[in-house]
Order: sequence, then C-alpha cells, then structure tokens
Amino acid sequence: MDLTIALFVSFAMFLIGILGILFKRNALIMFLSIELMLNSANLLFVAFSRYWGNQVGLAWVFFVLVLAAAEAAVGLAIIINLFRTKQVVDVDQYNLLRG
Amino acid sequence: MQLLLLTGLFLPLAGFLFICGLNKILPRRLVEVAGPGTILLSFLTFSYILYCNNQGVPLPHITLFTWIPLKGLWTDFSLRLDHLSLLMTLIITGVGFLIHAYSVGYMDHDEDLARYFSVMNFFIFSMLLLVLGANLLVFFVGWEGVGLASYLLIGYWYKRPPAAKAAKKAFVVNRIGDLGLLLGILLTYSLFGTSDIQEVCQRVGKEFTIGAPLITILSLLYFWGATGKSAQIPLHTWLPDAMEGPTPVSALIHAATMVTAGVYLVVRMHPVFQMAPITLQLVAIVGGTTALFSALCATSQSDLKRVLAYSTISQLGLMFLATGVGAYFAAMFHLTTHAFVKALLFLSAGNVIHMMHGTTEMDKMGGLNKVFPKTNLLFLVGALSMSGIPPLAIFFSKDIIIESVSGNTLYYYAALSVSLLTAFYLTRAYMLTFRGPCLVKDVKEAPVVMLAPVAVLGLLTVFGGLLGFAVNQAPLLMQFLAKDSLAFMAQSFHVTISMWISILVAFTGVTIGAFYSRKSLAIFFNSFYINQLYQALFVQPCRAIANCIASFFEPKIFDSSLSLTQDASYKTAKILQELQNGQIRSYIAWLVVGASFLIIYLSIASL
Amino acid sequence: MTMIVLGLLIVISALGIILLKKPVHACLSFLLTLLGLAGVYLQLNAPFISAMQILVYAGAILVIFMFVIVLFQDAYLAIDEYRAKSKPFWLVLSATLLIVTLTLLGTRLKTLGYQKESLPEGYGSLEALGKAIYIDFFFPFEAVGLLFLVAIIGALYIGKKVQ
Repeated sequence: MDLTIALFVSFAMFLIGILGILFKRNALIMFLSIELMLNSANLLFVAFSRYWGNQVGLAWVFFVLVLAAAEAAVGLAIIINLFRTKQVVDVDQYNLLRG
Repeated sequence: MQLLLLTGLFLPLAGFLFICGLNKILPRRLVEVAGPGTILLSFLTFSYILYCNNQGVPLPHITLFTWIPLKGLWTDFSLRLDHLSLLMTLIITGVGFLIHAYSVGYMDHDEDLARYFSVMNFFIFSMLLLVLGANLLVFFVGWEGVGLASYLLIGYWYKRPPAAKAAKKAFVVNRIGDLGLLLGILLTYSLFGTSDIQEVCQRVGKEFTIGAPLITILSLLYFWGATGKSAQIPLHTWLPDAMEGPTPVSALIHAATMVTAGVYLVVRMHPVFQMAPITLQLVAIVGGTTALFSALCATSQSDLKRVLAYSTISQLGLMFLATGVGAYFAAMFHLTTHAFVKALLFLSAGNVIHMMHGTTEMDKMGGLNKVFPKTNLLFLVGALSMSGIPPLAIFFSKDIIIESVSGNTLYYYAALSVSLLTAFYLTRAYMLTFRGPCLVKDVKEAPVVMLAPVAVLGLLTVFGGLLGFAVNQAPLLMQFLAKDSLAFMAQSFHVTISMWISILVAFTGVTIGAFYSRKSLAIFFNSFYINQLYQALFVQPCRAIANCIASFFEPKIFDSSLSLTQDASYKTAKILQELQNGQIRSYIAWLVVGASFLIIYLSIASL
Repeated sequence: MTMIVLGLLIVISALGIILLKKPVHACLSFLLTLLGLAGVYLQLNAPFISAMQILVYAGAILVIFMFVIVLFQDAYLAIDEYRAKSKPFWLVLSATLLIVTLTLLGTRLKTLGYQKESLPEGYGSLEALGKAIYIDFFFPFEAVGLLFLVAIIGALYIGKKVQ
C-alpha cells in the first residue's frame, strides 16, 4: 500500500516537474522543477529499496543526492553567467543557437 | 603471299595515318608524293599477287584476330582474297593511283592538301577492306568507312554551304541504306550462326529451298543496302548533289569505286540471291527503272558534272539489271570498263573545270576544242566509248548485258532506250563543251601531271574491251572470275543480230546528240521533282518535330521537372529548418515526446 | 494513513512550485516539498536518508537557490513583456503524451503487490548503509567524489566575474 502511494506520488512529482520545464519561462523555476524531478527519482529508489528489503536503493539515493548538489551548484553558476550577459531570466530570449 | 596481302591492304592505312598524324610538319612535296605513292605500292603488290597466282600460287586467306567471341555471333577479323576481290582490288588501287596522281595537279591551289590525301588514302583502305573481308561484318566495316570518307570528301570545301549540305545529304541517304544492310547481316547471323561469306553461300543452297520467305527477306535487305550505296531509286538523290566535291573525288568515289560496292555485294552474295527469284526480279526492275529514269534526267542538265553523275546512276542501273537476270559476269565486266571510262570522263571534265577556274556550267563553255586539244580528244574517246561505239571498251560490256536481257522484251527495250539516251546526252555534253563558238580567252591546256593519268585511262578505254572479248573461247576476264564460281561462265560475247541493232542504236544516239544539243526539258532538269518530294515528305516533318521538341518540350517539361525537384528539396529544407528555432522549451518538448515513447515501449515490451 | 497525508502534502506543494508567481514563494514551496519527502522517507524506514535529505537538500541546495533567487527576484516581472516564442500547441501535446504514458505505466504497476512486512535486521541504519557504500559500491563512491571535486572547480570557474 505504501509502495503504491509512493509510486503515484513519484509519478505526480515527475509530471509536475516536466510541466514546470515546459510551461515556465523563468530559468530559476525551470531549474527548481529539475530538482523536483530528481527528488521523484529519489523517492522511487527509497520505496523500492524498502520493497525488496536490501540496501542497494539507499546507497543509490546517497549518490543521487551528491549528484543533485553538484549539479545545482554548477547549474546556478551558469544561470548567473547568463544573467550577467543578457539581464533577463526569460529562456525564450536565449535563442542565438537557431538554425 | 599472306604478307603481300597484308601489305597491300594496310599500306593505304599507313599512308592515312602518316599524312594525317604528321599533318603540320610535313612539307607539301612530301604529301604530294606520299599520297599517291602508297596507292601505287599497293597496286604493285596486288599485281604481283596476280602474277604469282598465274604461276600457280593459291590465293591467301588470313585471320587477323578473333573479334567477337560470342556463340551466336562468332566473328573473326579475317580477309580472303579470291579472284573476284582481286579484280576489285586491282581496279581500286589502279584507278585510285591514277586519280591520286591527277589530284596532285588538280588541287594545286588548295592549302589543305594533307587532309585531302589522308582521307583519300583512308577511302582506299576502307574500300579494300570492303572487298577483302571474308565475312559480312568486316565488309560492313569497310562499307561504313567508305561512307564516312565520302562524307568527308564531298564536304571537303566545307566552308561552302552547298558542299556541306550535299555531304550531309549523302551521309543520311547512305545511312538509310546501311540500315537495310545491317538488318540483313543480323538476319544472316540468326539464320546461319556466322556471317562468313563463303560458308553462307555454300550453306544457303543446302538449308533452304528456292523461294523460301526468309531468304527472300534476307536478299531484299541486302539489296536495300546496295540501293543506298549504289544510288538506285529511291535512294539516288545524293549522287547528283555529291558533285559539290572536288572532281577527282567524284571520279574515284562516285564513279569508279564506292558506288560499285552495291553491285559487288549482289555479285558476292549471288547464291543467296539465286535462292530468291522474287528479289532478282525486283533487282532487275529497280535497275532498269533507275537506268531509264536517270538517263532521261541526264539529257537536260546544264552542269557538266551532273550529266556525268546521272550517267553513273544510269550505268549502275544497267549493272543491277544484269545481275537481276543472273548475268554476273556481264555485271562485273561492265563494272570494270565503266570504272575506266567514267574516270576518264570525269578527269577530262576536271581538266576543263580546273583550267576554267572552277566553272562547271556548260552554258559558259563552248568551243574549247581549240584551247584544249588533248583534253578534247580524251573526252571524245570517253564519250564515244560510253555511247557504245565499237571497238571501244563499253561496247563489249554493254552488248553482253543487252544480250543477256534479250529474253525479256521489257528489259530489252529498256536497255536499248538507255543505250540510245546515253549516246545522246554524252554527245550533247561534248558538243556543248567543246564545239560551237568559243566564249573564253586566255585559258591554257592542263599540265602534264593532269594529262598523263587521263591518257593512261584513255588507253585502257580503247584496249580494255579485249578483257572480255575472245573468239571461240571464254574471254580472259571470264576465265579469271570463273575460278571462283561457275555462275560466271554463263555469258559471253557473240556476234548476233542484236549486236548490230545496238551498234545502230549507238550511232543514232550520237547523231541526234550532235545536232539537237541546245534544248532541254524542265521536268528532266529537275529530275522529276523527286528532291522536292522528299523534302516535303520527310525533311519538313522531321524539322517540325525537332522545332516542337526544342521550343516546347525542352523548356517546359524537362527544365520544369528539374526545377520542381529543386523546389521540393528547398521547401523541405525550409520546413525542417523550423525544427531548430533555438527555443529550449521546444527542444525539451521533443525530448519529452521521445522519452514517453521510450517508456511506452519499455512498458509494453515487458509483456 | 500518514503516507497519504504526506503524499498529498508533497503533491500540493509541488504544484505550488510551478503555479506561484513570485520565485521566492516557489522556493519556499519547494522547501515544503522537501520536508514532506523527508517525512515519507522516515515512514519508509530510512532515517538516515531522511536526515541527509534535510541536511543536503533543504540545508544546502535550497540555500543556494535562495541566494540566486534573491539576486534576480525582480527579474520575473520582465517575462510578461516578451511574447513566448515556442508554440504552446506543441508543448501541450508533449505534456498530454507524457500524462498518457505515465498513466499507462501506472496501470501496469498497480499489480505490484504489497511490500514485505518483515525487514532484515538493521535495515536503514547507518551501519548497513555504510557497508553497502564502502563494500558493494566502492567504485561509484570514489567516482562521485571525483565528480564533486570537478563540480566545485567548475562552479567556481564559471561563476567568476570577468575582469
């Protein structure tokens, strides 16, 4: 029962994260949605680790956590750089790489 | 012996390559010597072969290399010399040498002499290849070669539009005939598996009955080819126009050698023709009709060379008439004597034309007997011989022909009429050119280099008849040719009533010609308006189609299909370009789509 | 029961992230999500993970986010002046596709069954986790450490002010 709820919550978080990336134009909110998606993956790991009863999932949660931290740091550095160049946070205006 | 044959054949080719290749650096003298020189050496080689053969050495047969090693089409490049082809090679190289020597004088004002002599040498080589080929494919190579040389030489003065047009016409009309010959060769391959002439002639009698439809078709196809090359009706229109070329060219190609290739083909393949009596009848009818038709046309021409051109067509018609009734020896004998006499006539006409600086219209000539005494004599000899006055050469051969066709009243009267008309128009030409008031001044007689070959031909004309004349035995030429095939043994010269009739006819013609020379009829002058008919029937529609294609099809259909392709790819590229608009969210949308498909696939695959 | 409540909390605060206008509010909503997640991890017998979640995510990552958002907190107003360039049609289409996919996946996973009632000894404790990391997954551990180093250097370099 717990597992099913955890699954649904995880899917919902993932979906909300994707919707956030697709429909929000603020770069910071997009990044926040990415973190939300990572958290949904974490929840899945923990839930299934509890289901199978071994420590594998928990170990992987550890690693994902570290990765999320590193990625957040680098990503925000990039966003700060972007903001310094263009003075806007609207991702639709960063379109110089068009064909 | 084989080496001699190869030398004789390939010397003119060597001459062609030599003069053609080293065109720019050779001095004029060398070209003037090398051109005729190779032909003279070739003639001497073939004469030596004749001499050896008389001593008993057999004639050679060489296979140079395997050309087409395919099962149904096996062909070797082989050459066979038998008596018929030896006769032809002697005529070709002998008369050819005399004409080459004559050209040295005729073309002395011309700059581009190397081109002339190289193509003339190439022509001799092709003609030799034609008569020496042991199978029909080598024969065809020579056939095409002489067609090409004829085109190049008629259009020798290519900067003149009439010459270029005449050359094109000659080639195209020839081509129509070549189609028939090619179809005939292919049919030969399919019927016999080989095109070796000796084999085909031996097998056709055993494998097919007389009058078999396939053999009739085969012989008709051969005759179609012969019609094109030998200027019979309906493919005769190119020969009068071919007189735009230099006079030696007209003498060599269109009187003595190339146009006789058709007659040679029929005589060579006579076993095939004898299996198809319908074709033989057709050959005789076409030959007779052509002879009569062109003789009529020749009576009203105003251009000296055209008279001689129509005369050639007429005499070729007589030769075909002879083959049509089976008189092959008569045809070959007439071919030989005609070669001498026609060359004589053309070259003496060339003397006149050259010394009058290029005029060929007889209206401008007259009374030239005082200015050109030697040419006058030579032309007179030629004209009298061609009219059939004994004991000059043509009398014997023409009489044999008339005698062979005497069985059929239609042919007989046709031949007699042709004889009469020939005498008439040649005498008329002589009178218009050499008799009457003299209109020109300060022209002089031709130089020795132009007179000497003509004189040799004159001698041959006077004494050449002896080749076919003998009392109480087969004449020399017949004995010579009969070593090949007994079909040559049929006819010989007899002193009969028909001979006296033909002599009478000849004298009548000469007399009429001497007195009634000034008149001419328009229908004959325009040669029955056949040229105009062909123009309307064939040339104009083709030109219309070509115009239609060039102005309508090509820009609208072909070009627009190309631009359609171009447009299509451009528009596609434009559409695809929209995919990459630099918007991150669009890219993410595509990512999501892909990821969902992946998830669907993975979730279904675990079924 | 607690699971359901916590799940609802998570979903509502996740919705809040994307629906709230001011970025600061969105960040706070994120904090609420993280706290809910920590509760869920506790419920699932993983105390260490939940503590780590609070420490790392809520304590470090969220703080960084907060810093940057404070830096740009007025910039979100300028977004409405510029017309969106990506066509909303395609975005909606892809979102719909995703919803369909996840529903499909969900229906297949419904039959997964209940979890084990009995857990092994020391599940979720620090000792067991340490054993798993240092013995079974030693290589990923070292790799992640290296990655962390690279990330630090990278972040420092990218964020440097151009002279």
